[in-house]
Amino acid sequence: MTVSVYEEIAFWILGPLSLAGALGMLFSRSAVHSALWLVLTMLSLGVLYMVQDAPFLGIVQIIVYTGAIMMLFLFVLMLAGRESSDSVVEVLRGQRIWASLLGIGLAGLVVAGVARSLGDVTPAGLDNPAANGSGGPGNVANIGQSLFTRYLFPFELTSALLITAAIGAMVLAYTRKQAKGGKNRQREMVNMRFRENTRPGALPGPGVFATADSVATPALLPDGSIAKESLSRIIETTPVTQIEEDEALADRHPDAHALTGAARDGDDGASIVASPASEERSE
Amino acid sequence: MTTPASLPDIDYAGVAPVLIILGAACIGVLLEAFVPRSQRWAVQVVLSLLAIVVAAIALGAYLYTGPQNTSTFAGSIALDRPALFLWGTLLALGLGSILLIADRVVEPGGAFVAQAGIRPGTMLDKEQANRSSMQTEVFPLALFSLAGMMIFCSANDLLSMFVALEVLSLPLYLMCGLARRRRLLSQEAAVKYFLLGAFASAFFLYGVALLYGYANSVKLADIANAAGGTNRSDALLFLGMGLLLIGLLFKGSVGPFHTWTPDVYQGAPTPMTAFMGACTKVAAFGAILRVLMVAFGSTHWEWQTIMWVVAGISMLLGAILGITQTDVKRMIAYSSVAHAGFLLVGVLALDGSGIRATLFYLISYGFTTIAAFGVVSLVRDGTGESTSLSSWAGLGKRSPLLAGIFTFLLLALAGIPLTSGFVSKFVVFAAGMSAGITPLVVLGLIASTIAAFFYLRVIVLMYFSEPAADGPTVTLPGMYTTAAITLGTLVTLLLGVYPSFMLDWAGTGGFVV
Amino acid sequence: MSARELIANDPTWLSLVKAVLVFALLLVITILLIWFERRVLGRMQQRPGPNRVGPFGLLQTVADALKLAFKEDIRPKLADNWVYFLAPAISAGAAFLAFSVIPLGGQVNLFGYQTSLQLADMPVSLLVVLACSSVGVYGIVLGGWSSGSPYPLLGALRSAAQVISYEIAMGLSFVAVILFAGSLSTGDIVDAQGQGGVWYAFLLPVSFVIYVISMVGETNRAPFDLAEAESELIGGYHTEYSSIKFAMFFLGEYVNMVTVSAVATTLFLGGWHAPFWLGGVGGGVLNTGWWPLLWFLLKVVFMLFIFVWLRGALPRMRYDQFMKLGWKVLVPVNLVWIVAVVAVRTMRNTGVGTAQLLTIIGIVVVVVLAIVLLLPNRPAASDVEEVPVTGGDHPLPPLDLEVPKVPKRKPVAAAPAPELSAEEEGVPDGRA
Repeated sequence: MTVSVYEEIAFWILGPLSLAGALGMLFSRSAVHSALWLVLTMLSLGVLYMVQDAPFLGIVQIIVYTGAIMMLFLFVLMLAGRESSDSVVEVLRGQRIWASLLGIGLAGLVVAGVARSLGDVTPAGLDNPAANGSGGPGNVANIGQSLFTRYLFPFELTSALLITAAIGAMVLAYTRKQAKGGKNRQREMVNMRFRENTRPGALPGPGVFATADSVATPALLPDGSIAKESLSRIIETTPVTQIEEDEALADRHPDAHALTGAARDGDDGASIVASPASEERSE
Repeated sequence: MTTPASLPDIDYAGVAPVLIILGAACIGVLLEAFVPRSQRWAVQVVLSLLAIVVAAIALGAYLYTGPQNTSTFAGSIALDRPALFLWGTLLALGLGSILLIADRVVEPGGAFVAQAGIRPGTMLDKEQANRSSMQTEVFPLALFSLAGMMIFCSANDLLSMFVALEVLSLPLYLMCGLARRRRLLSQEAAVKYFLLGAFASAFFLYGVALLYGYANSVKLADIANAAGGTNRSDALLFLGMGLLLIGLLFKGSVGPFHTWTPDVYQGAPTPMTAFMGACTKVAAFGAILRVLMVAFGSTHWEWQTIMWVVAGISMLLGAILGITQTDVKRMIAYSSVAHAGFLLVGVLALDGSGIRATLFYLISYGFTTIAAFGVVSLVRDGTGESTSLSSWAGLGKRSPLLAGIFTFLLLALAGIPLTSGFVSKFVVFAAGMSAGITPLVVLGLIASTIAAFFYLRVIVLMYFSEPAADGPTVTLPGMYTTAAITLGTLVTLLLGVYPSFMLDWAGTGGFVV
Repeated sequence: MSARELIANDPTWLSLVKAVLVFALLLVITILLIWFERRVLGRMQQRPGPNRVGPFGLLQTVADALKLAFKEDIRPKLADNWVYFLAPAISAGAAFLAFSVIPLGGQVNLFGYQTSLQLADMPVSLLVVLACSSVGVYGIVLGGWSSGSPYPLLGALRSAAQVISYEIAMGLSFVAVILFAGSLSTGDIVDAQGQGGVWYAFLLPVSFVIYVISMVGETNRAPFDLAEAESELIGGYHTEYSSIKFAMFFLGEYVNMVTVSAVATTLFLGGWHAPFWLGGVGGGVLNTGWWPLLWFLLKVVFMLFIFVWLRGALPRMRYDQFMKLGWKVLVPVNLVWIVAVVAVRTMRNTGVGTAQLLTIIGIVVVVVLAIVLLLPNRPAASDVEEVPVTGGDHPLPPLDLEVPKVPKRKPVAAAPAPELSAEEEGVPDGRA
């Protein structure tokens, strides 16, 4: 069994890449970056499999691990927010050092053992007819053969695992609030809005008639005063509470035209509070 | 072009018990979707109990035909005597656990939360604590777990064993987090169990990969052949075996791999703790027994010293740390670590008497554990179960019957004569002596003595202390819990007084290769 | 010789030439596609569409692309530098990569070599398409996340959920095709629909319809363009992008459209084979040489027309309806369909005759119909407790609605005229 030049080139590119990905995952500060490094490792491994005559395995590695699992990871990380990073406080004293030492020790042990025992083994290779089963050449058909003959039972048993996982997700996440009658539907919301007799129409959007169209700038009403309800309370960077404070303080509306999108730049919130000059002007 | 795949031979009569349990679990899932919420509990209880009984009948019918030691599903599932015995054990213990799970009298609505999706500590959560419903998905989940355990201890290749390991673990992780009271503690237990369990599974899988590299097969018999027949470097074999065993010993909460046990036992809903304590142990030790004897039996001279050390550590750790515990559930958890050490003595005998002793130990320990946790669930105060040892003071005066039963069970755990605990310890140590591991047996005796101290301390506390004025009350158990406790206690007594029939059953055969 | 064997004999330089050709082809198609889309949309909306730059406005897209490349490259302050840069590249790269396994034609003579008009073919080519689309989502998701702004993030989350869900429906609709072709290789699948074979669109209509629906969802196109729904999310994941990076996203999206259309052609419309009776003309001469490229491109253009047609005809779906369609309709229908296909094939393989087969199918249909008829009707929702409605079924506003008082107008100092953002005009034709 010889190693072709292309295979060697591929190895020397993908090997270091996957290693770099693994190390990058360990050492990057942001969780999303960690996940991305891991994606790199998985992609490199997938391509390595393909180079070694296992295209099915390689592609499935990419579809399943990169496409599905890591995507779900990213999904959760993005929902959790970008500021959330690991706490660096050690709960157990000296844990980091010991964990690193023991981890490196275990890795060394395993690598040494594997290297020693595989040093003089000749690989069979997947393109070798002897390595292929009754399914003929290529490993797609052979994987199918194995799954439905030799490993039929574990293969079927996996369905039990998947059912359990699905039920588990539902048990942990589903509350009757999501069921019928638990939460208001669109139609019920509309009805409610009309019954309550307050504001049947939509709220004004931020930035309308203002000097900037950012979400942080409130809309202006026809008389030039500020429409506070145009700011979303759930977006942190909008100055909705600040406007209320300013109003209470000054006992009048701040100058609408002094409002810009860069509302939170200064610590003193100067751009929100009416500047003395503009105050005069508005009187 | 490819040749069409033909199905392997399947011995349907032999695997019927497993298929029945799996099928019932799937039906249970469908029932969740189609049965109105108010009727689900009743339907699920009937279905689960019925499934276990039918599976036991199928098992009995298969045994009645006098089967040979065979394997089916292309050698994935072994149908040998130890496997069938363990299936029987698991079904019996599963029955007891389902009875405990089904109880809705002790805790109105059952020990499981009404809706797991509600965040703990919110208004909705307080409201649901008093609602008399529960998350009935627990029943199919428990059945899935039970089926996984049955497959786990009869899996004849490492791949099936791994999938079975996950099938048995995943529902357990989930159900640990579903306690009705002290939900944060329960969820913490679930997360700990899940993370550590996933980690242990990774070890197991890595071991399987290395063993496959060594033997070019995942079948246990092929690994044994490869180990016997070549002069290759054994580094892969022993690395693989070590990693594999870490995964297995973790599940059996043995020795230094036990750290999840106390937290999870304490946080999980008590019926779940009983299920885990009894059934998981059976499954894990069934698998350890099979792996060590079938796959690695031929090389035991090279690794048995390490396993002796593990067994010794497990016994001593469990016994010594058990003394320092102030919580009943944690105390039983540490006692289970010590028992895991004793069980390993039987396993390490590596012969027919060892198998017999281990199988007997498993069934007697399982029943005692279920009954003990059944009793624990009865001692309650305003916030739920009162598991602190101090609140058990003077229980003998307040509720003599319950205290009597618990005393008996503790004596069984300690291994006092006339209980099954004594007989099982005796056969295990006897097997160890005859196999020539005398130092370990001596260590076992010392550890039993230490462990007996903390069992006796509880007994002393129950009978010779004054009950606190605002202490817990003993709830009158409902039908199901009564049945479970009675079952456990009776079996403990029966196996203590008349153990020979069970020993005969346990000793009828070895593993199929 | 099968396509795979032909391609395996390619020298390295030929593969490189083919790669460049495919790349160029995709760029040209994209440029023409944008023009095509705007012209067709224009016709549907009773207006001319672009007709100023070049003959019939053909060069409009080139002009737009050039302009876009010279725009200012804006990077938000909160953006995550590397990821912000990486995202468009992934999006476009993955889109191009998927096209490499599409067979554009049969055996041709290219620079003196007998080869197949296909860049690469593997035993698992079909999975490569799925893999590329699943990697392509990273572009969208990371672009949305790294912008550091809420709307792109929402768009990215929607897109991730959407693409993953529809990839399942898409993958399942491949299954029936794979069962019939007996191979995962695109070359073999096209061959199986060739001489004497039936196009799988006619043989497996359910799979085809589901594929067409899910390919629209997969490419984030109207009516499923929820990831960039401008009425809700401004521009979705690419809100903060401008200049060449935006152009990359744009390119990725259109190349993706071409790719999924090409996959539809390959799997269901007979690939490069001449349509209908034309294959028989002159003893099959229209299926040799460079003719197949023409048929292939015509079929792809047909699929692209469907894309444009959908965009012109349908309003955008609501997000929850869209997910419901994917999970509760497409996936279950697909599963039932696959089971039916497998059952029929097994019966054919075991020698059940056509008459018997039809009888069995008839019995199954009757049983299903009987069950459906026996199911009790869902009780209609009562209208009591509802808000009064007008004739058009709209809720009637309360008659005593208080109109807020109009505040007195105050004289206000003149504000500086709001600057029109150059970006708004720069986007070719917007994403309307």
